Amino acid sequence: MKNRFKFRYALLVFMVACIASLINWTHPARAAGAAPRYFAITNARVVTGSGVVISNGTVVVAKGLIQAVGETVAIPPEAWVIDGKGLTVYPGLIDAGTDLGLPKEEPTENAAAGRGRRRAAPSGEIAKGPEDRPGTTPWRVAADEFKTDDKRIETWRNGGFTTALTMPDGGIFPGQATVVDLAGDRQGDYIVKAVATLPISFRPVGGFWGFPDSLMGSIAYIRQVFDDSNWYEQAAPIYAANSIKFERLPYDRTEQVISRELRDKETVLLPANNSVQILRALRLADEWKINAVIYGGQQGYAVADAIAAKKTPVLVNLKWPERAKDADPEADQTLRELRFRDRAPSSPAALAKSGVKFAFYSGGLSGPKDILKNARKAISAGLAPDAALRAFTADSAEILGVSDRMGSIAPGKIANLVVTDGDIFGEKTKVKHVFVDGRWFEVHEEPAAEKPSDHKTDEPPGSPKDMTDGEGVGR
Amino acid sequence: MKRVILLMAIAFGLFAPVALRAQDSNAPKNNIILIKNATLLTVTHGNIEHGSILIRDGKIAEVGTDVKAPDGATVIDANGQYVTPGIIDCHSHIAIEGGVNEGSVSVSSMANIADVLDSDDLSIYDDLAGGVTVANVLHGSANAIGGQTVVIKLRWGKPASQLPFEGALPGIKFALGENPKRSNFSPPPGIEPRYPATRLGVEETIREAFIEARQYKKDWEDYKQKKAAGDQNLIPPRRDEKLEPLVEVLEGKRYVHSHCYRADEILMLIRVANEFGFKIRTFQHVLEGYKIADEIAASGAGGSTFSDWWAYKMEAFDAIPYNAALMTDRGVVVSINSDDAEEARHLNQEAAKSMKYGGLSANDALKLITLNPAIQLGIDNRVGSIDVGKDADLAIFNHDPLSVYAVVQKTLIDGRVYFDRQRDIDMRPALEKEKQDLLAKEKSAAEEKKKEDKSEGKSEGKSEKKPDAKKKKPPTSQSNVGGVAGGGL
Amino acid sequence: MSRVISVKSPSFQLIAFCLALSLAFPLRSQPAANVYAIKGAKVYTLAGPAIENGTVVIRDGKIAAVGANIDVPADAQVIEAAGLEVYPGMFDPITQIGLNEVGAVSATVDARELGAFNPELIAATAVNPATAHIPVTRASGITEVIAVPGIGGFDSEGGGVITGQASAFNLAGWTMEEMQINRQVAMVINWPSIETRSFDFSTFSIKEKPYTEAKKEYEKAVNVLSDWMVRARHYAQAKEKGSPDLFLRDLKLEALVPVVEGKLPVLVVADEARDIRNAVDFCAKQNLKMILASGSESWKVKDLLKEKKIPVILGPTERLPEKQDDPYDKPMTQPAELNAAGIPFAFASFGTSFSRRLSQYAGTAVGYGLPHDEALKAVMLNAAQIFGLADQIGTLEPGKLANIIVTTGDPLEIQTQVRYLFIKGQLTSTDNRHRDLYEQYRKRPAPTR
Repeated sequence: MKNRFKFRYALLVFMVACIASLINWTHPARAAGAAPRYFAITNARVVTGSGVVISNGTVVVAKGLIQAVGETVAIPPEAWVIDGKGLTVYPGLIDAGTDLGLPKEEPTENAAAGRGRRRAAPSGEIAKGPEDRPGTTPWRVAADEFKTDDKRIETWRNGGFTTALTMPDGGIFPGQATVVDLAGDRQGDYIVKAVATLPISFRPVGGFWGFPDSLMGSIAYIRQVFDDSNWYEQAAPIYAANSIKFERLPYDRTEQVISRELRDKETVLLPANNSVQILRALRLADEWKINAVIYGGQQGYAVADAIAAKKTPVLVNLKWPERAKDADPEADQTLRELRFRDRAPSSPAALAKSGVKFAFYSGGLSGPKDILKNARKAISAGLAPDAALRAFTADSAEILGVSDRMGSIAPGKIANLVVTDGDIFGEKTKVKHVFVDGRWFEVHEEPAAEKPSDHKTDEPPGSPKDMTDGEGVGR
Repeated sequence: MKRVILLMAIAFGLFAPVALRAQDSNAPKNNIILIKNATLLTVTHGNIEHGSILIRDGKIAEVGTDVKAPDGATVIDANGQYVTPGIIDCHSHIAIEGGVNEGSVSVSSMANIADVLDSDDLSIYDDLAGGVTVANVLHGSANAIGGQTVVIKLRWGKPASQLPFEGALPGIKFALGENPKRSNFSPPPGIEPRYPATRLGVEETIREAFIEARQYKKDWEDYKQKKAAGDQNLIPPRRDEKLEPLVEVLEGKRYVHSHCYRADEILMLIRVANEFGFKIRTFQHVLEGYKIADEIAASGAGGSTFSDWWAYKMEAFDAIPYNAALMTDRGVVVSINSDDAEEARHLNQEAAKSMKYGGLSANDALKLITLNPAIQLGIDNRVGSIDVGKDADLAIFNHDPLSVYAVVQKTLIDGRVYFDRQRDIDMRPALEKEKQDLLAKEKSAAEEKKKEDKSEGKSEGKSEKKPDAKKKKPPTSQSNVGGVAGGGL
Repeated sequence: MSRVISVKSPSFQLIAFCLALSLAFPLRSQPAANVYAIKGAKVYTLAGPAIENGTVVIRDGKIAAVGANIDVPADAQVIEAAGLEVYPGMFDPITQIGLNEVGAVSATVDARELGAFNPELIAATAVNPATAHIPVTRASGITEVIAVPGIGGFDSEGGGVITGQASAFNLAGWTMEEMQINRQVAMVINWPSIETRSFDFSTFSIKEKPYTEAKKEYEKAVNVLSDWMVRARHYAQAKEKGSPDLFLRDLKLEALVPVVEGKLPVLVVADEARDIRNAVDFCAKQNLKMILASGSESWKVKDLLKEKKIPVILGPTERLPEKQDDPYDKPMTQPAELNAAGIPFAFASFGTSFSRRLSQYAGTAVGYGLPHDEALKAVMLNAAQIFGLADQIGTLEPGKLANIIVTTGDPLEIQTQVRYLFIKGQLTSTDNRHRDLYEQYRKRPAPTR
């Protein structure tokens, strides 16, 4: 009997030991709730983004936020220490205009039979007038359609971008643009600000057979939408209070959404690239009494003062105009085009000089390498490097309405950081680490053009490789 | 160093994108200019040989043979050349971005040319080189009721907000006949043809729109009355951008310029206008106007026509070059227009044709492109003749402007030289050099990039879209000048 | 006694004498229908200095005599032309007159056949002698034209590669047989371009194509064109040697035979400098006799045109410059430039309803530097020389067709009227549809309602 007891006891101990060790082993870095939440980057040059540069400092990240930043700060014991010797820490870069995570819009067939009935026809039908609401889906929110499996998210992140404005495309009112952080476990983790701004396009979506088929038609249409929304804003409460007095108000989703946006003074993105378009956008913004932000802005060099006078921010498209790749070599390059191509990169400098607040966006460039390269062109053309940095960080956050939470390295702000081995605008600089919402990503050198590097399949964090100079984990 | 110079040049205000064919507008040293030694064709009070014009602050201050310039005035010696009032083109489609027509629907009065003025359109400069100073920029003729229109001065180099002619009443474009009924093309299968398809339907489209507009006007008047009477809980009528311009027409605050060809459709529109109590300001093209000149004169409408276009459409088959003269004989105020950026470069020649076809006098022929279009556009208090008090909008020709040999030397608007042929010629080498320099710069940058790419072992990226440079205007209804549709934003 | 008058009676002899006299001396009031004398005008023969107070005698459709002091034949109808001027009629060498009545109405347009290669089609086949455009055009002083299939303009149909053969004819006559000067004056080729941009009507937008692709398509098109010439040569050879019974006629190749033999010139439409160079190169390789049509960028390839002796039929002087950066007045100064370089050229309207603007195009060129007498030649004589018709038309010289205009002044000036018009020696009315409508409606009484 004693043997049996001994055996059972041993078995029990053995089982407990197994379970205990299993618990140890099933403690991978990626299990829910088990990701490291405390980091400290030490001995680094810290460009806080709010004007202060710390030549030898520490940044402490705790539970997704920046806990502390300074020359000497207390590091929590459980923090993973990353030696930042020779490295520079910047606020994570923001790309203020992308379609990351959003599936590509298929061009709608305008040849579908038009019926001309007065009803909302967001796409595919031939609109017979503004009442058919052509290309109008302002209720769409990018956050709802955002897909985390877009490979570009990783590409951007590896290039130092922690945040992006992602905009739905297609139509005159394609929907609401969302500010997303470029990492998360679940889709919802990515969304920073679901309803950030309302982009508008002047594209004549009717395509000759449907309304509108001209620029003036699109503008007239947008004007009518604002009229209708303002009307709704006025009419709805009166109707609600006196419903037996008036004919019932028809349901128009556009009016509902836009009137709310106007009431909340949400920013509206107006497209304008050359000087004529920019001045026109400023004028229309005044007329429509909207809180406008211009996107495009590549001829800002010509009209910077006019933009400054209206205090209108600009999202500058970094895809500088270039000669087409497979162009006719004998085709005439007009002087206008040549001048535009030559001067466009000087627009940010001109805007800065006139006091216009602006941010950069990728505008169709294929990745962070090109984005930063084109930012370098702007710097060569006269933009101060710290102004360039602000256009990717603090000013961008401000225009997008998230500057309380990000855009600089300060206690309490979201831990979006990029750590490089040199000046962020340096040609040979490499991104070493990126933090998104306090999640740490190590960026490894890729031999060929940027391929998404899947951090999960690499060595788990905390491996000896990360501990330089014999620094142990924790102090 | 080049970059510094470039930046300095930008800073010095060369903001108007200028092509080889263009020049910066020439601000006078001060605001006093004397044009002397010229044959002045005043249009209103005869020709003055060895005449002079004194301009002050953009206005004509003195006209005569004995004008003295104050000290410091800029003097332009015309050397015996001819000075006329600036030419006024009563039918123009220049300086429009993104499409001349909102052609999708039959009533597109919500569209407004003033929203899409393109101050960088080279056609502005081209027309200045033809002596044109004012243009009635119209929506196209794709719809029975088209978009709102605007009169501009061709102030090349100024932003779009400074082009519209201050104080000129706004207009709206109507169109009758083949174009609004789309008889010369059909939609592809699967797309419903647009109503109307006959002249019968064109009339109905216009009448229906005005019936709606009348009701809209009434709804708003009722609302305002009730509100004024103290009623607080009122839901206002919706604003309708389509109907508001039509209400303005009813109230005489907006001019109607109607494209038309056939005599019967012209009479139809007069009838419809009478029915609704408004007047047509001008009939445009009005190629059969000569058949019903008395009726047009009685209606008070002006006629703005071509010199000698005909036979391109069925409704143009009865067009005759005597149209302008015959209508003038019957008391219609007639202008000759271009409808085309190229035609506008030689409106002086087109006006001269009415001397050959119909025997108009030289002065009456000149009126067709100066005082008469000014009257038609309601701006004759400001422009259209060389008279003291009017704007100094002038064209200087090296020969009698009604001669085929005349070439515009200078064009002034508001007393400022906006086109100077000699200066244009002088600037060509410098502009060509700038172009070659920029091309060389791009070429060497491209070669640098190739070397860079080779050393990095990078492959060619995917082909990029064409840049968003400014482009020429799109094809207009009557012109064969190709162009690109508006920017891709 | 018989009442028959005897031959020997004095009254009979008197009557017979009078009859004989009247037969021998025709009365002045009945001149011959085909003899005219234009007297007292300033005569510009274009074959020498102008003749003050000159006379031109026309007989049987031709110019019989021109000079200062020549006798007026007794049987001539005299046109007193004091204060007027006499010139050869103007010649519009590229039009669609007769092939195109109302541009938008396809039933009235025969200028553009289906298919890209139609060398066998001849414009004269379908020219409508009753077209309203003929009286309208000749009233402006144009006495002969060339109708060209498949060349586009404002109111004309264009398209296709080899579009057919151009025909020269007078603007008067009841049938083409009567009007024809030369049924086949040139083979028309629209030179293919490297098209990187095209207009897509279904989406109503510009479509862009990569250059390498466009270039391949262009090279293919040129190869096809070259094949046609090669096959035409083979055909010519076979036809010459082969038996008429076994020979299978190919109308298209047959039409190209005179072209490849250098007997029929090719009228090549090209505007861009590269297209012109390529076309010149092609024609040189194929041994074709080339005439350049339109030639907006001729000024860029002056040396080439001069060297290869290529004449140019210029498109309307009044058009916009080809390239955005070109000087605004390039199309207007180009004629003077070509003239200074010694390149033969002529003006053409390339249209139908704008043919009467021919003198205006020439006049404008004078305003921008072309010497006046060169401009006159460019609308009256040069095209005749270029198309090998100068033995028949182009100057006022004895033996040539009496295609003559008598004007109130300088024919290039806008206000000038044509007072008298002679085509093939016949005094032709300048009445036309436009004047008729004008007269008709001028007489309209005041409206009754």
